[in-house]
Order: sequence, then structure tokens, then C-alpha cells
Amino acid sequence: MTQPQVTVAAPLLQLNGITKVLKGQEEPRTILSGVDLTVHSGQSVAILGRSGSGKSTLLSLIGLFDRADGGQYSLHGNDITRLPERRAAALRSAEFGFVFQRFFLLKHLTAAQNVAMALVNGQGWSARRKRRQQVMEALEQVGIAHLAKSRPSRLSGGEQQRVAIARALVRQPRIILADEPTGALDTETGNLVIEVLLNTTKRGCGLVLVTHDHDHARKMGRVLELRDGRFN
Amino acid sequence: MFSGKLRSALVIGGQGIRARKLRTFLSMVSLFLGVLAIVAVQAGSEIAERAMLTDVELQAGKDGTMMGYIPGEKGAPAIVESTLKGRADAVAMISSQAVIGEPGVRPINEGGMPFEYAGQRGDYNGSMTFCDASGVCHEQKAPEKKPDGQAIEVNMVALTGDIRRFKPFRPVSGSWLDFATAPSLAPRIVLNEEAAKGLDRYRVPGEMMIEGASHHVSPQIIGVVQDGSSTPRVYLRLDELRTWMPAAAETGSSDIGRFRGGSGGTQLEVYLQPGSADLQQLLKAKLVGAGLSQDQLHFNTVNSKERMESELRILRLIFLGMAFLVLLIGVAGILNVGLATVGERVEEFALRRAVGMSRMLLAGIVLAETLLTGLLTAALAIGAGAAGLQIALAMFGSRFPSLQGTAFPWEAGVAGVIAGLVAGVLGGLIPAVRAARIPIATVMRA
Repeated sequence: MTQPQVTVAAPLLQLNGITKVLKGQEEPRTILSGVDLTVHSGQSVAILGRSGSGKSTLLSLIGLFDRADGGQYSLHGNDITRLPERRAAALRSAEFGFVFQRFFLLKHLTAAQNVAMALVNGQGWSARRKRRQQVMEALEQVGIAHLAKSRPSRLSGGEQQRVAIARALVRQPRIILADEPTGALDTETGNLVIEVLLNTTKRGCGLVLVTHDHDHARKMGRVLELRDGRFN
Repeated sequence: MFSGKLRSALVIGGQGIRARKLRTFLSMVSLFLGVLAIVAVQAGSEIAERAMLTDVELQAGKDGTMMGYIPGEKGAPAIVESTLKGRADAVAMISSQAVIGEPGVRPINEGGMPFEYAGQRGDYNGSMTFCDASGVCHEQKAPEKKPDGQAIEVNMVALTGDIRRFKPFRPVSGSWLDFATAPSLAPRIVLNEEAAKGLDRYRVPGEMMIEGASHHVSPQIIGVVQDGSSTPRVYLRLDELRTWMPAAAETGSSDIGRFRGGSGGTQLEVYLQPGSADLQQLLKAKLVGAGLSQDQLHFNTVNSKERMESELRILRLIFLGMAFLVLLIGVAGILNVGLATVGERVEEFALRRAVGMSRMLLAGIVLAETLLTGLLTAALAIGAGAAGLQIALAMFGSRFPSLQGTAFPWEAGVAGVIAGLVAGVLGGLIPAVRAARIPIATVMRA
């Protein structure tokens, strides 16, 4: 009698022994030294740590903004530690959604156009009608579809951050990377934004949240603290 | 894939231009002058070349035309006339002198000179010496001096067909000779502007004395043309002239041994379309058979444009060089604004890369913005150039007949577009490279 074959899905992302050294005019400074991290589909991870502990550096390595100096980085089981720039750009577009502390909305564009920015990035082309539909779906997910035609200057901080989240969601990424997304918001609005981000994990998205706020961190599935370049 | 990148670059480039209208406008102002300078130089040189060429064509004939000079002796005019009869690809001009006005008087412009110099010839009464081509000279007694009177002397040009196919005479008034109708007993003549000026100024009687004609002729003046000649001329159909002087074409026979071109000498010019080598050979064979030597028959192809182009090239290069310097100032303006804009848009560019845009495409967007600016400026400069030309023609066109009907040359439009593109590339290249080098991590540290 043969036993049924059990297949274990590869983690969304896996970091093994990641190191990063900043080389400037002064002495080289080790920011990350042997970081291990695994995130599965639908998981949420909060990363805490003091300023300068390397949280944002780690997030930029995960988001392929930068390359690690050592260790291995796998995405869906594929080694992407040394990826050429063009492929890294394609992966950023297809796999990741980014939310930053500052919202980085272009003030000359409407909310809808800011969201569409992630669709008009040279990684394929879809018709205007389809783009509009995708944008409206993303805005509906964060509850501000009615503000599609508003410019950022007419929106509150919370609304602007939700536009930024819609921009991160519009390409239906597998992983959301959020770098202190509530840092510029009041507690109530911050809680709302965290709720919106957590909702994405229900659809199978992985969420990595860098924050200083312990209350928000506790809402995540896992909480990790970065100290001296590694997780405690 | 390429289409997606191109469309993305154009969409985002357009958004960038719309978002920074004032800066785009300021870039365009300096560039506009540079492109306009290029357009103006190119248009000016093209128009000058065409105007010069048109003036040259009036006298020498259109480029490519095969032109022959044949002495009017040994029955050559009759041979030429019979050979060219019924042919549309060749026309002969047979020139001799005629006097219009009172008979038996000395013309106001004796010798057919321009009226500007009329009366300045003096009164030489001595004998004159004429030499032939071989250097043999004969002394001739001076003709009997005639009394001054109301008459003008003109160069009479009899045509076997419509010469305007080879020499684009510009109509001034009236109509041109119609070769399709039956010959008229009263020859229809077309004056050039100088002859018309003489008739208008001196009010001479409408009677024409032609050497060798049996009677004085009363011509019908049907029109005036600009033919590029400074001497008074009349044009008429050879067959209408023959009605009055059946031997007119052979008038040269009495002038054998004299230098052609002098008073009373008959000149023959033949104009053949390109590719009429067979006709040329036939004509030569007949003329040689009639007794003319090969050395007396001169055929050459009109090639005015090439000669003039080499003369204009240096002038054009000097002006284009100056215009290019003005364009460089415009490029410096775009470059300056472009670099400042990239400095301002660091976060936007980093963000665009964060959401998946490649370095190449980012550079392409910056280039697309400057290229669109350059093209827009070029379109405005070309439009301004074309409008300026129309205004200038409306204001000064009547003073320069060769410029009448001048259209804006397409070469100037092409030069403007190229100048706009070059300025866009030169002005956008360095900002594009800088934009592509912005690290994405900028957004994390902001």
C-alpha cells in the first residue's frame, strides 16, 4: 500500500545567513550579520528594533532594492541572491507591494493615477479600461474608491496612506513590505491602516511589517526583534 | 514588450510635461530660438537657391536640358526648322534684330541695347572691321547715318515651339504664344519686360521692320513675359514670321564671315529634352551634310544647379554653423532645466523603480520628456517660420518677382524636426543618465 505523497509548498521567501556591510569612506560597518527569515503565504511578520538596527536595510534587501553581501535569498524556492537589475525590476513589479512611512504620492496625479503608476512601469501593458478596473478594485479594497479623482493635497494622511496601499496591491503581489506605514499617522488612523494590511494576508499575501509600535506588532502572526544585526 | 515600454515612457513623459508646464515653457523659449534659427537658415538658403536657379533657368534653360548653338548660315535655320517640325521634345530659337516704330530712322537704342543706356553709344562714323572665326578680317564701310526718330531696336526671337518647357518664362500680362492654332497674317508677338518698357516709354508706332522682309509688319502684341534678359526682346512664331519673309530663316547667309551676335547676325539655339541624343545626332548629321563643320556645332547639357550649389554651400555652412551655436544655447537651457528637474524628482524616480521600472526605462522617460519638448518646439518653430515666410512674401513679394509663389521648403521643416530631436537628445541625455543612477533605497531613507 503506497502512502499518499505529501507536498510542502515552498515558502514565499527565505533568507539564510544574510549579511550586509556598509562600505563608505569610514570603516566598513556591519548592518546585518547572519539574518534568517522565512515567510509563508498568508503569514504576517512584524520586525521591531531600534533606529539604526538594520530594519529598513533588511526590508530593502527583501524588496530587491539592494543586494546582500553574504547569505542566500530564495523566493518561491528559487535562489535570487544574485539577480541582474532587469530581472530584479520585473520581480519587484510582479511579486512585491511596497508601503512606506512617507506615502510618496505624486502631487500632480489623482489618487487613481497614483495607483495606476504601478501598472505603467514598462512591465507589460494593459488597455486603459482594464487598468481603470484594476485601479478601482484596489481602491475599493482599501475603502476609498470614492476618492479616485482626488489629488493627494485634498486627502488626509490616512487616506493618502490607503492610496499608497492600493498602489501596492494593484498588481496583486504575493508579498507586502511595509516600512513603518503608521509612523506619520495618529493612533486611530494607524490602526485602520494596519487592519487594511492584515486583510491582505487573508487572501494569501505575505506581510512583512517594520514598525516601532509594539501594539501594531502584536497584531501580526510573528514578531521578531532585530538587534546588533540579527534576530533575537 | 517594447510597445509597453515605449507607451509607458510616452505616458509618463507626457504627465511630466503637463505637471511642469512653466519649466517646459521656459525650456522651449530658448530652444525655440535655436530651432527657428536652423529653420530660417535652411529655408533662406533653399529659397535663395531656388530664386537664383529660377533666374538662371530663364536665361540658360532648365537643368538637364541639352542646348545647342548653331551658326545661322548655309541654310542651317531651314534644316533645323524642318528637323524639329512636329516634335514636342525640342524647340529652336532663331534670333535676329528688328526695329519697331518709324521706318527709316535711327532707333533710340540702336543695336538693341537696354534703354537705360540709350543715347550713350556716340556717333562713330568711321569704317568698321569684322573678323571671322579663322581670324580673317574685312573692313566695311560704315552704313549711312540715319536721322533720329521714334523707333526702338529689339532682338527678335522666332520660335519653332513652346520654349517655356525649357525656359520657364514668367507671365507678366496678357498671354503666351499659342502654337496649336493656324498662323496669323499679323504676327502675334510677346514682349519681354525691357521691350515693353521701351514701347511704353517712347510711344513708338506699332510697325515692325525686319531685315529681309518684303513689307513692314504690323504685329499684334499679345503679352509680356519676364525672360531674365536685360535687352529688349520680342518672341513670335517662326511660321508666322515666314508669312512675311519666306527666306527669313536664311538671313544669316548674307552674314557669312562675320562674328555672330552683332547687328543683323542670325543666331540659332536649339533646346532638346534630356534623352534626345538620337535627335541631336540626326541634326548634326544634316547640318554637317549642309556644309557646316563639326567644330561649329556646340552642344552641352545645362547644369546650373550643381554649379550654384557649390557656390552656395560655403555660405550655407557658415550660416548653419551660426544657427547651430544658437541651438546649443537652447540645448544648454534644456539641460539646465532637465538637471534641476531630476534633482527635484529623485523620490519620484526612486519610487518608480521600486514599483518595478527598470533603469533603462527611467532614462527613457526623461529622454522622452526632452524629446517631446524638442519636437513640440520644432513644430512651433516650423509653424512660425512658415507663417513668417508668408507674411514676408505678402509684404515684400512684389519687389522680388522670383520669390512670387514661393512655398515653405520641406527641407527647412525636416531640418527643424532634426534640430528639435538633436536638441532633445543632447539636452536630455545627462539628466537621463543621472535619473537612471538614483538608488531605489532613497525611498527607504527619506
